[in-house]
Amino acid sequence: MSVTAFLTDSTLCIGCKACEVACKEWNHVSEDGYDWSGYSYDNTSALGASTWRHVKFIEETPVPGLGGNASEQTSWGFSSDVCKHCEVAGCLEACPTGAIVRTEFGGVFIQPDVCNGCAYCVVACPFGVVAKNHGDGRAFKCTFCYDRQKVGLAPACATTCPTESIKFGEISQLRGEAQQRIQVLRQRGLEDATLYDATHTSVGGIHAMFIVRGDVRAYNLPPNPEVPTRYLKKGWMSAAIAAGLLLGGTVLAFLTQPATDAR
Amino acid sequence: MPGLGTSLGRGGATTAQQDLSNADAILIMGSSMAENHPVGFQWVIEAREKGAKIIHVDPRFTRTSAMADIWVPLRAGSDILFLGALIHYVIENNREFRDYVVNYTNAPMILREDFRDTEDLDGLFSGWDGEKKKYDPESWLYRGSPVKAGDDDNKPGHAESSGGHGKDRGGEAQDAGKYQEDRTLQHPRCVFQVLRRHFSRYTPEIVERFCGVSEDVFLKVAEVFTSASGKEKTGAICYAVGWTQHSKGVQIIRTAAILQLLLGNIGRPGGGILALRGHASIQGSTDIPTLYDILPGYLPMPSSEADSKKLTGYIGKHSSRTGLWSGFEKYFVSLMKAYYGEAATRANDWGFDWLPRITGDHSHFGYWLDMADGQLEGLFVMGQNPAVGASNGRLQRAAMAQLKWLVVRDMVETETASFWYDSPEVKRGELSPYTIGTEVFLFPAAGSAEKAGTFTNTQRLLQYRNQAVDPPGDARSEAWFMYHLGRRLKKKAAQDFRSRNHGLRALTWDYPVHGKHDEPQVEDVLKEINGYAVRDGKQLKHIKDLKEDGSTACGAWIYCGVYPEEKRNRANERHPNDLLGHGWGFAWPNDCRILYNRASARPDGTPWSERKKLVWWDEEKKEWTGLDNADYEKHVPPDRPAKVHDGHGTEALGGARPFTLHPDGVGWIWVPSGLKDGPLPAHYEPLESLIKNPLYAQQDNPAVNKRARSDNRYANSPGDPRYPYILSTYRLTEHHTAGGMTRTLSHLAELQPELFIEVSPEFSSEVGLRHGEYATVTTPRSTIEARVMVTPRMRPLQIDGRVIHQVGLPYHWGYRGQVTGDVVNDLLVISEEPNVRIMETKALLCDVRPGRRPSGAQAIEKPLTKERLT
Amino acid sequence: MTCDPAPLSNQQPSSESERRLLDIRQQAQLNGHLKAPGVRPIGAPFPTASTETGYYGLPLLKPPQWSREIPLYFFVGGTAGAAAVVGAIAHFTGASRKLVRDARWIAAAGAILSPALLIADLGRPGRFLSMLRVFKPQSPMSIGSWTLLAFGGAASATAFAGALRERYGSSFSVSVMENAASGASIPFGLGLACYTGVLIGATAIPVWNESVGHLPMHFAASGLAAAVGGLELLGHTNNRALQALGLGAALFEFWEGIRIESRTQAELYPLKHGQSGRMTRIGSLLSGPIPTGLRIFSKFSRPRRHRWLRRSAAISSLAGSLLTRIAWLEAGRASAHDWRRPLEIPRQAKS
Ligand SMILES: Nc1nc2c(c(=O)[nH]1)N[C@H]1C(S)=C(S)[C@@H](COP(=O)(O)OP(=O)(O)OC[C@H]3O[C@@H](n4cnc5c(=O)[nH]c(N)nc54)[C@H](O)[C@@H]3O)O[C@H]1N2
Ligand SMILES: Nc1nc2c(c(=O)[nH]1)N[C@H]1C(S)=C(S)[C@@H](COP(=O)(O)OP(=O)(O)OC[C@H]3O[C@@H](n4cnc5c(=O)[nH]c(N)nc54)[C@H](O)[C@@H]3O)O[C@H]1N2
Ligand code: SF4
Ligand code: SF4
Ligand code: SF4
Ligand code: SF4
Ligand code: SF4
Ligand SMILES: [Mo]
Repeated sequence: MSVTAFLTDSTLCIGCKACEVACKEWNHVSEDGYDWSGYSYDNTSALGASTWRHVKFIEETPVPGLGGNASEQTSWGFSSDVCKHCEVAGCLEACPTGAIVRTEFGGVFIQPDVCNGCAYCVVACPFGVVAKNHGDGRAFKCTFCYDRQKVGLAPACATTCPTESIKFGEISQLRGEAQQRIQVLRQRGLEDATLYDATHTSVGGIHAMFIVRGDVRAYNLPPNPEVPTRYLKKGWMSAAIAAGLLLGGTVLAFLTQPATDAR
Repeated sequence: MPGLGTSLGRGGATTAQQDLSNADAILIMGSSMAENHPVGFQWVIEAREKGAKIIHVDPRFTRTSAMADIWVPLRAGSDILFLGALIHYVIENNREFRDYVVNYTNAPMILREDFRDTEDLDGLFSGWDGEKKKYDPESWLYRGSPVKAGDDDNKPGHAESSGGHGKDRGGEAQDAGKYQEDRTLQHPRCVFQVLRRHFSRYTPEIVERFCGVSEDVFLKVAEVFTSASGKEKTGAICYAVGWTQHSKGVQIIRTAAILQLLLGNIGRPGGGILALRGHASIQGSTDIPTLYDILPGYLPMPSSEADSKKLTGYIGKHSSRTGLWSGFEKYFVSLMKAYYGEAATRANDWGFDWLPRITGDHSHFGYWLDMADGQLEGLFVMGQNPAVGASNGRLQRAAMAQLKWLVVRDMVETETASFWYDSPEVKRGELSPYTIGTEVFLFPAAGSAEKAGTFTNTQRLLQYRNQAVDPPGDARSEAWFMYHLGRRLKKKAAQDFRSRNHGLRALTWDYPVHGKHDEPQVEDVLKEINGYAVRDGKQLKHIKDLKEDGSTACGAWIYCGVYPEEKRNRANERHPNDLLGHGWGFAWPNDCRILYNRASARPDGTPWSERKKLVWWDEEKKEWTGLDNADYEKHVPPDRPAKVHDGHGTEALGGARPFTLHPDGVGWIWVPSGLKDGPLPAHYEPLESLIKNPLYAQQDNPAVNKRARSDNRYANSPGDPRYPYILSTYRLTEHHTAGGMTRTLSHLAELQPELFIEVSPEFSSEVGLRHGEYATVTTPRSTIEARVMVTPRMRPLQIDGRVIHQVGLPYHWGYRGQVTGDVVNDLLVISEEPNVRIMETKALLCDVRPGRRPSGAQAIEKPLTKERLT
Repeated sequence: MTCDPAPLSNQQPSSESERRLLDIRQQAQLNGHLKAPGVRPIGAPFPTASTETGYYGLPLLKPPQWSREIPLYFFVGGTAGAAAVVGAIAHFTGASRKLVRDARWIAAAGAILSPALLIADLGRPGRFLSMLRVFKPQSPMSIGSWTLLAFGGAASATAFAGALRERYGSSFSVSVMENAASGASIPFGLGLACYTGVLIGATAIPVWNESVGHLPMHFAASGLAAAVGGLELLGHTNNRALQALGLGAALFEFWEGIRIESRTQAELYPLKHGQSGRMTRIGSLLSGPIPTGLRIFSKFSRPRRHRWLRRSAAISSLAGSLLTRIAWLEAGRASAHDWRRPLEIPRQAKS
């Protein structure tokens, strides 16, 4: 089985949200509230337990004569977000039950029958992806359509995308394509096109890469995501010192106390 | 779609969405294609990726603008100014594709001396009858073409009652095969020179002043788009209801057609005009019409004033001597044989007298107003939700309360079905379930996946759909409903010998049924539509097989060939073998994916260029061949001379006249007959406008039926101080039209849960609106409220030195479903464009103020008060 | 997932806006047109996505989705763990039997209460068992779960053996059991007292992971203070060892408070501002300066006063310890809500 990935190219995305809906349909995920957010056309606002694909709308002031695709101007960017399926995944590392596993396709998958809802993955994800649902309290996120991939189908979101903004394929090949695409875009004058892959961080690369224009921060993508396991060493060191002090202190306290107290 | 129909011959998109990827420039105007045709938009993206320039002209910055290279905000309703200026630019800078224009359009034709242009009559064309409020189109004819016989009403082009769909093909008024021409295009009365003069005032400066588009942006667009022309290049235009739903919608499309003809962009790959249609089979619903004024295949419905008396008169009036419409009799007789079978004989005029006659305006608005006046007893509403989707929602609902019975067939209980107990009128106490006498029957309908049948999509492509699941409970297909209703009516008629029942008794109505609910076999319906030989029942293969002697039956001549032989349903074929999708479905006519494609070759039959080749003459095989099926007589060589002046049929067009439905075989820059509001487009202001018509004294389209009455009031125009802002309505990707299919689904409802109004930051500060709060919107019809969306995507325009504001409202909400909201159509006015009787939804006047609307009884009178100014 | 958008009021037309509108209308009527647009708003009156605002200021990270039981568990577990260590050391150093017994009971009670709290958070008892499907060294929660389990065994065994001995007298086997269990409860108690600091420190929540080097010590000190406080409330107000431990813990907490206040990292913002900031400060006052002062004061006081002062210190420490855990979780919530940190956008001077 080859290791797969997404390449979501926001320069091709038309903001139709078909991916978001297809994901919910395929995975039987419920809606998550009829709240009008006022954030452009984005009313689902973020990824979460009941939104595994999420289309973001980045609004800027448009200039007549220059559409959003003109190199001079970005004006209404759309980008479809998803679980990054990190190479070193905070959620997977943190999960105490072993519910989160890495699949043969390289995706990070929560086994729903194992998850106990401890919610530790929630705070361990540097991308704010996974969340506990309000119903039975288990954690959910994109499954990378494990069930579909298992039978040789592409994920529902990628299949439905009308403009091929969501590309799906073998990871190294996609990485190559991504580089080429950036070249093409730059040649066309879109100097600000960047590939978001997080390879330079402790996350060690992601299986859901993004091509965006301009600063990734407007897309709610952290410039330097860190996998929380990198804090473990420091934490346990501190714990060891704490334990030593606590133990030493207590021993000292009791050994030095006058015998009168030791009744 | 008479805009395209009269200009080019057929009222359908000339090209396929896939073919957009061949374009060098795409002008999207009057459509937000990325939002409303997202799947088709992939081909625009593909073109863009291949280097084509995408231009979007739209009052708002939409998801489509975001994907374009150039976005041009313009004042809603000023499209003809903009397009007219493009035509002006083409002519003044000699950008027309001369070889194409001379050979393939009617630019050389010379017009009659008695024709007067809007230039002379300040906005009117000659022939205007101020009393009848309509044109006598005779002076628009070519010089030298004889007028067809007839007396007054019966004279072609004069009937009052019929709409415009019947004339989609145009040209019934004259023998357009007879004309004089000047192929140097110099004659002062030739179409080209008249056109030049007509558009001489449509300058970039006018565009800047009255469209609100700065000259340099306009010139940039003009340069980019007109460069996509000539032998090596093509450009395409996409439009939808941002053009059609105006009081002059047909003429906007006409302007586009003229532009494309001048640029030589019709019938060529990457060219054309893509009419983006609405519902899945809306094209199908004009081909096999749900319209009152045509029969299948665009045969006009006989009208009671004219052409009703005799079959010969009817045939004579509507057929032409040359071109494809010379076969009118064949098409008509075959249709009658399909309807009435054995009973249709030459002796009884094939049952011509059994056809109903048009007695007046039976368009949606026509009968709805009749209904409001208590003149209608019962109504079937099937697959429509007028309580939300149709203009002047209050009137729509009030009218239904006048009915005795109402049948609604839908998949959900729509606002239309429930108006009698939960409409705003009931909530405000204007109507009450206790006093509404209407008996409402709600029939559950099977959804598209729950039944088999064909869709004819935006590019004339018939696609067969197999049934995926059984409909739940009592839900049944339309075919089931109509078939069994018809069966029962026929049974009743069998015992009732009144003459009005003759037709019903004669009707063939015996489709095989299957399944436990006796569903009719829809494939058999498709076979009948395709046509068959009466003698042996064998399927017809080609339109050419049709006969006028009653030996063939065919339900819609244009679909002939979709089921060419037993067990071969071409609509159900799924093996595409090229970009245009041959092998997948069947595009009418004859599986042509690009219409008029003879024009993709030079008059001598060779492609204009290697890059833009599509169909060409194969000297060896002696036939037209290429990447598409030729929309032409397959074996007529390019050098066969035309005999349009005295010949007959399609042969008379010779080898180099691509627009075969026109008697003269060319594209019509000038429309000598078939339109009710002029042979050329002229700019008129919307019925409600802030400004005076900058070009003519005539303010708005004179031929429009405004339908003004006390329950359908207009704002004053030009400029009504009570309503100082322009209102436009439109769609969102997340919802579908009246919302019955999307507000009921949680996965879609959550994506756009509330009605909002889009306003510019400048406007919000002027009026005192705050993002996320509520605004109240008022027109002379009603008042609604919406959440405020302040966005820089909306922008004020400088119009003639003053700042005007446009606001936008998506119209998908109603009072049922998972998410609800006020009905935007309550704000709109019923109006009828003269040719197709469509309402104006894209440019109206309104007032906007902060805060929520009054509710309850208070709201009834408040919205319409004038005292607000004091 | 909708993250509470800024509250929206339903603005009713005010007389102010009405008057303004009237002006506009009248002007329109008089001149036939409207003058230039109103003021162009400075900045944006509507949400924007940009390099300064991130994605409409929507939080990138998810806030901890733990129920109220979790900070309570941190408190109970920490107290129990420290109490077990105190009890065991007291036992092995031959300190007062009552002290040993009380410490053991605190530990044992905590050992029983802790899983109950966790189960309350998880919803179903069976779910706690899933924790024991695997042992994952890289997951502090896994380590914590096993630690808690082991601690539960050791603490209850200790208490059980102690009870046996008290009721039936000392025998060899009871003695072995008591000593072994006591011995075992030292490492597990230490673990329990410290691991929660690692647990929240090794996460994506900025305020936590920024503090990961201190949190275990901080929590251990807090746990010890609470254990000492608990024992003092049970009457051991004369025990000097406890006094020393209490003082040490309070001094450590004092220092911890100063450290937090004096550091300027943006990540620590929630510890000083807003609801979580207030809680943190009160928590650290109650854990640090107040008990320190009271204890020092008590040294120089007469017995009655001494007892009263130590009780007060004990109560203060216990309250401080509990509040500290709640405050840290609150701070985590606030920190996750702050979209600027993970996007590395500097917080403007204001707000
Ligand atoms: N998702 C989705 N898709 C749909 C539908 C739907 O409801 N939802 N409806 C289907 C149907 S029935 C139809 S008919 C089509 C309609 O498809 P469209 O015509 O694309 O639909 P609209 O959004 O109504 O209008 C298009 C654009 O016209 C602009 N406009 C308004 N006034 C003017 C004007 O004066 N001039 C110009 N140039 N532009 C103007 C509006 O700002 C809007 O962006 O879509 C079909 N597809
Ligand atoms: N203000 C404003 N008004 C407009 C427009 C605008 O742009 N602005 N656009 C106009 C346009 S272009 C259109 S097309 C209309 C659309 O207006 P409508 O056609 O009135 O609206 P729909 O919601 O599309 O109604 C279709 C109904 O058919 C039902 N349905 C779906 N499939 C089936 C089926 O197989 N059988 C049956 N029996 N029912 C079925 C659906 O549930 C739905 O309720 O709105 C028009 N109104
Ligand atoms: S993005 Fe978050 S949820 Fe997805 S794999 Fe990475 S850490 Fe896990
Ligand atoms: S909530 Fe479920 S998936 Fe997440 S860490 Fe806990 S057990 Fe693992
Ligand atoms: S891969 Fe599957 S689960 Fe993940 S976002 Fe796409 S459709 Fe949803
Ligand atoms: S389906 Fe594709 S084009 Fe549509 S929003 Fe998703 S990524 Fe964008
Ligand atoms: S809803 Fe259907 S017809 Fe409309 S764009 Fe999507 S696939 Fe095409
Ligand atoms: Mo439509």
